[in-house]
Amino acid sequence: MDAVTLLMIAVIVLSNAAGDVLITRGMKKMGEVSSFHPYHLFQLGRRVLHNRDFLMGVFCLAISFFAFISVLAWAEMSFVVPATSVVYVVTVLGAKFFLKEQIDKRRWAGTFLVCVGVVLICLP
Amino acid sequence: MKTAIVLTVAIMAQSIGNVALSKGMKLVSGGSSDSADFSLIMLLEAMQSPFIWTGILLLILFFVMFTVSLTWADLSFVVPVISLSYIVNVALAHQFLGESVSETRWAGTLLICLGVILVTKSGNTPKHNNAYGLNQETRPYQT
Repeated sequence: MDAVTLLMIAVIVLSNAAGDVLITRGMKKMGEVSSFHPYHLFQLGRRVLHNRDFLMGVFCLAISFFAFISVLAWAEMSFVVPATSVVYVVTVLGAKFFLKEQIDKRRWAGTFLVCVGVVLICLP
Repeated sequence: MKTAIVLTVAIMAQSIGNVALSKGMKLVSGGSSDSADFSLIMLLEAMQSPFIWTGILLLILFFVMFTVSLTWADLSFVVPVISLSYIVNVALAHQFLGESVSETRWAGTLLICLGVILVTKSGNTPKHNNAYGLNQETRPYQT
């Protein structure tokens, strides 16, 4: 695995994490969806386009998407997809060091399992 | 029930979408496995590939299902369920893209799933969480 692949995985992971946080924050302001009627979904779509968190989240996810399909041009999908799971580790570390959240033992254990899993998929 | 259907559709759309994207990009790049052979022009070429558009449409479907589910279910419930798609992704890559998945890679994928479940199901117990991942105050709307 070369440096370009590693760098691209990092871009995918960081932009994906930022995108998910922004979109979650945006969608929580929309209220629960209880009707799947096309008209109501269309109305929700219109409201969501005026939400700045949501739009910034979509921009981040677009970066993540193009980085992702670029890597797929040369790397195996059964490697790339699990490799992007580092996003969970990044989120936990970010929560610990930037948001000063307390991380309990189970969460550290889960983070450790993801790391071991990623190491395993990187082995030839 | 609504949650189960929406999340199953989300997982399948995401996994099949990734297979389509992978297939499309491999066709565009001529199947080279060297990152040095990649150029940004390939991204423009990819925008003319039916495989890429199929993949994009399926990922949009995934995205709609995912965001819609977040309006009633907790993120800490939805994310571990969606993490099952790691296994589906690797299985489909093996089945439809002919990627040889070693036992080590399978083991790694399973550990990642377990890890994601532990990370998202632990810690700060949400004030309104239950086994169904539904917000207490919105449960009356459930069918």
